[in-house]
Amino acid sequence: MSIIPPETTNYMIAGYAVFFGVFIIFITSMAVRWSNLKRDLQALEEIEKEKKS
Amino acid sequence: MNKKPVVLLVLDILSLVFLAVAAYLALSFAPMEVNMGNVQKVFYFHVANAWVGMLGFIAAGVAGIAYLRSQDPKWDIVEVAAVEISLVFFLIAIVLGSIWAKPVWNTWWTWEPRLTTAAITEMIYLAYFMLRGGIEDPNRRGRFSAVYTLVGAVSVPITFMAIRLFRTIHPVVIGSQTSQAQGGFNMSPDMKVAFFFSLFTFTVIFVDLFWHRIRLGILASKVEELKLKVME
Amino acid sequence: MAEDKNPTTKPGSFLKAVFAITWKDLAAELRSRELLSAMLVFAMLVILIFNFALKLDARTRITATSGILWVTFTFAGTLGLNRSMAIEKDRGCLDGLLLAPVDRSSIYFGKLLSNLAFMFIVEAIVLPLYSLLYNINLFNPGLLLVILLGSIGYIAIGTLLAAMAVQTRTRDVMLPILLFPVVIPVVVAAVEASGGFLQGLAIAEVSYWINLLLVYDVIFIAISFMVFDYVVEE
Repeated sequence: MSIIPPETTNYMIAGYAVFFGVFIIFITSMAVRWSNLKRDLQALEEIEKEKKS
Repeated sequence: MNKKPVVLLVLDILSLVFLAVAAYLALSFAPMEVNMGNVQKVFYFHVANAWVGMLGFIAAGVAGIAYLRSQDPKWDIVEVAAVEISLVFFLIAIVLGSIWAKPVWNTWWTWEPRLTTAAITEMIYLAYFMLRGGIEDPNRRGRFSAVYTLVGAVSVPITFMAIRLFRTIHPVVIGSQTSQAQGGFNMSPDMKVAFFFSLFTFTVIFVDLFWHRIRLGILASKVEELKLKVME
Repeated sequence: MAEDKNPTTKPGSFLKAVFAITWKDLAAELRSRELLSAMLVFAMLVILIFNFALKLDARTRITATSGILWVTFTFAGTLGLNRSMAIEKDRGCLDGLLLAPVDRSSIYFGKLLSNLAFMFIVEAIVLPLYSLLYNINLFNPGLLLVILLGSIGYIAIGTLLAAMAVQTRTRDVMLPILLFPVVIPVVVAAVEASGGFLQGLAIAEVSYWINLLLVYDVIFIAISFMVFDYVVEE
């Protein structure tokens, strides 16, 4: 006699969606922080140059 | 350090490719488990994410000790990167564990030792960031963070053992079954392939993200330095 | 740096320094009693609130007692730790101590002992009070052992973390946030062992918890003492 497996595919989808969602948010957050810092760095280097002259 | 090193680029690509393969193996290649249905497939990523959390946890502890011994700010950057990654991945693991628990044991949460310890570790990480947020001086911030990391690294394993002992004395009865079984299914060979490949993939992902996060920390520290210099 | 210890620090002078610091705190408290009164009033309020929050019949009271006691001690203990360190910082005592030619870790042990003394005093008053209010005999040697070991573990790590917390911007709030997640083994073990003794279990059945408390105490006294230097350097 065989067992009928319960229909839990929705939970599986939810699980993988959570993983990919958080993963993408995390990577995006790092990318955004990187570009903000890059921008700040450039601005500060400009100010430094002006101060020298 | 503006240009991304080639090795890191390669690692990025490998991470994405491996992730895709791991997802395929977990979702499609591995057979469905008959007692739980498809939700069991969440298990592969649940464990792999917890594994990344563990790697980060250990890395943070090592970085903390290294910082205290050397007082080199680079170790502080490494420590923050490790804690942040561990925080994110333990969070994913906890949520995935919850999603898995609901259809299988009819509860969103079980006070199971590993899950509970992971949640406590998250609280320690949050406390860590709050501590850092409350200190202006970078040197003091580095020292205190390292001390707290060390304290956390030692207390978490002890906490795990305490909770496990507690659970053997007070098993939780959930719905109509006791939830002492954590998972309680046997892995077929195909499932094992998916499982171990997930672990491997996420190890690669950990190294990749860790490297990226450390680079981010170094850039942030550079900006801070320049800011102080320029605002004089 | 941690290595710059006074070369003339002998065991004798180390202990002298420790007791001097402990006595300073105890003497100051004897005069002002601000710490103890705050802790005591707070502890009694917590017990009062529990009386209304948990409607306990005579039977569940026994099983809930160990939990209530430890929640009370944990919260009152936080108050004591905070005040103890804040007084140090506000009166500039800490800077004075740091200038003195004593091993930094003697400051840790001195504070540890005085904080422990305050906690014991509060516990010594709460226990008979609770006994009276709830008609439960708490003069149980096993229970007293657990309270001793649990308090030591709690104060050992609490003293270290309080020293850090008092130097942050969000002083008072910071300590419980740092302390509670890492002191969970103490709370779990203490509540379980206390409950066991109160229910008349034999020592063998609670020995795991006693061992856990002992291990925790030793490990965290050692760690706190080793890293305390890093927390008070200027």
